[in-house]
Amino acid sequence: MSLRLRSVSLALLFPALVLGWWEWESRQGAGHAYAFAPLEQVARSLVEMLLDGRLLLHAGASLQRALTALLIGGSIGIATGIAMGLWRPFDRTAGPIVTTMRQVPILGWLPLVALWFGNGDGAKLLLVSLSAFYPTVLNTQKGMQAVEGKLAEVGRLYGFTRLQSLRLIAWPSALPLVFTGISQALAFAWIATIGVELLFSATAGLGTEMMAAQVAARTDVVLVCVACVGVMGFALNQLFALLRARLLRWQPAPGN
Amino acid sequence: MTDPRHLREPAGTTGPSRTGAVRITGLSKRYAMSGKSMTVLDDINLSIRPGEFVSIVGPSGCGKSTLLRLIVGLDTDYDGEIRLDDTRVAGTGLERGLVFQDHRLFPWMTVSKNVEVALLKQKLPKERRERLIAEHLALVGLSDFGEAYPHQLSGGMAQRAAIARALVNEPRVLALDEPLGALDALTRVKVQAELQRIWMEAGTTMIMVTHDVDEALFLGDRVVVMSPRPGRIARVVDVDLPHPRDRASPLLHRLKDEILGELTREPREEDGTLVSFPARTRS
Ligand SMILES: Nc1ncnc2c1ncn2[C@@H]1O[C@H](COP(=O)(O)OP(=O)(O)O)[C@@H](O)[C@H]1O
Ligand SMILES: [Mg+2]
Repeated sequence: MSLRLRSVSLALLFPALVLGWWEWESRQGAGHAYAFAPLEQVARSLVEMLLDGRLLLHAGASLQRALTALLIGGSIGIATGIAMGLWRPFDRTAGPIVTTMRQVPILGWLPLVALWFGNGDGAKLLLVSLSAFYPTVLNTQKGMQAVEGKLAEVGRLYGFTRLQSLRLIAWPSALPLVFTGISQALAFAWIATIGVELLFSATAGLGTEMMAAQVAARTDVVLVCVACVGVMGFALNQLFALLRARLLRWQPAPGN
Repeated sequence: MTDPRHLREPAGTTGPSRTGAVRITGLSKRYAMSGKSMTVLDDINLSIRPGEFVSIVGPSGCGKSTLLRLIVGLDTDYDGEIRLDDTRVAGTGLERGLVFQDHRLFPWMTVSKNVEVALLKQKLPKERRERLIAEHLALVGLSDFGEAYPHQLSGGMAQRAAIARALVNEPRVLALDEPLGALDALTRVKVQAELQRIWMEAGTTMIMVTHDVDEALFLGDRVVVMSPRPGRIARVVDVDLPHPRDRASPLLHRLKDEILGELTREPREEDGTLVSFPARTRS
């Protein structure tokens, strides 16, 4: 057996065991069949949801929400991080505020946000954006302060203006950490999206659909949604890793 | 300010140029270290002719890097005077270049972009800029590597790219701080020969710090030997041989023994200072 084949079959072993156990549970009487929907039924629901376009609708709505929030929260986070990295007094003022706010879990803001902004799309977007804001602001700020004095000296030698030093030295040297921030923000935004949809069921979204399915006692549909959230989160992460490798191709390979 | 030299004479078409004379007089440098003031350079006097190659050797910590940083203006806090062609040095300027021991190329830029950003201050038209970049990459033998990123280069290539970047503004004087120190022995010998050819073609005044006495003698018209605590010029050795040189020359071997003797001599403790040598400077 080739090494690759062996590692693939090892990776599949555990899921296969879980599925086997699941199927066994679902055959232990009616109560069990409710909690552990038979695999065959889950598969049928998946096909059905794919065919009637429901899965696409909800997955699309969640994805759009997560990416919009990433764009908003991420760009504000990066801009704030740059300002904090460049301007000490701002860092001293904003730093403690950000750190304090970060101690409150995203869903902890829910009662206040619902009170102030209702439970519409705006409120959801606000909370998800906040989850994307923290990792980008903190990593960007750290990145901007990581400029190597040695490279800054090269800028002095060739008479760079302050703006040129920022654009050609400080920003590119911050980029690896900025990307780390964005990839964390992507993961947090995805999780927060599903979270606010579960709690603020209003419009389309995988979380909304999950909540509705639970109320309707459709464990099979809940399972399809859970699997979809997992697979999509994984795919987003992988896609972003590819983008990052492409944009940071100037970096030496790790361990080099 | 734009250095007008290259507008008059493209690199390599004239011999040693008329400009590039460095005159250092009564130069002293102190660092404040944990409240105490420490003298790092003490009364340095040195005159360098236009187009001359001067090597500097001396034990580590004797202030060689400090001296170069003062010459290029990265550090402006000193007593005494440094003049380039009768203008007092104050801050950095394109007419004075520096090559560091670590190449210090920007890792996020290709080789040719690294050379290009050195030209930013000159605000040249695009064609002229591109020609200068191409000429200087050719000068260091990296014409085929313009699009490579620094991490894709070998140590010797990266250092040659750094030399191209330092020369692209056609500075009147180029300081080199142990530029080949990180290279393996074989690469180093090759790049030394390259550096000699580049110096002969460009006609730039060069001041190179090295810990390799062979290298200092192979390249230098003169070798400045420094002694530590405080950093002083112990001796200046003339190397009266035409370039390009033969490494096997008996004169180089004799001078090497002499310089090594100087560098390993035990300090005398009589008056609390190190031995000082009569021949301080030449001009
Ligand atoms: N920024 C600095 N602050 C304080 N001391 C320094 C600084 N830079 C260099 N020195 C000291 O000055 C002395 C000379 O340093 P340097 O010029 O780097 O020596 P060399 O290049 O000959 O090895 C050393 O003793 C070093 O510790
Ligand atoms: Mg040094």
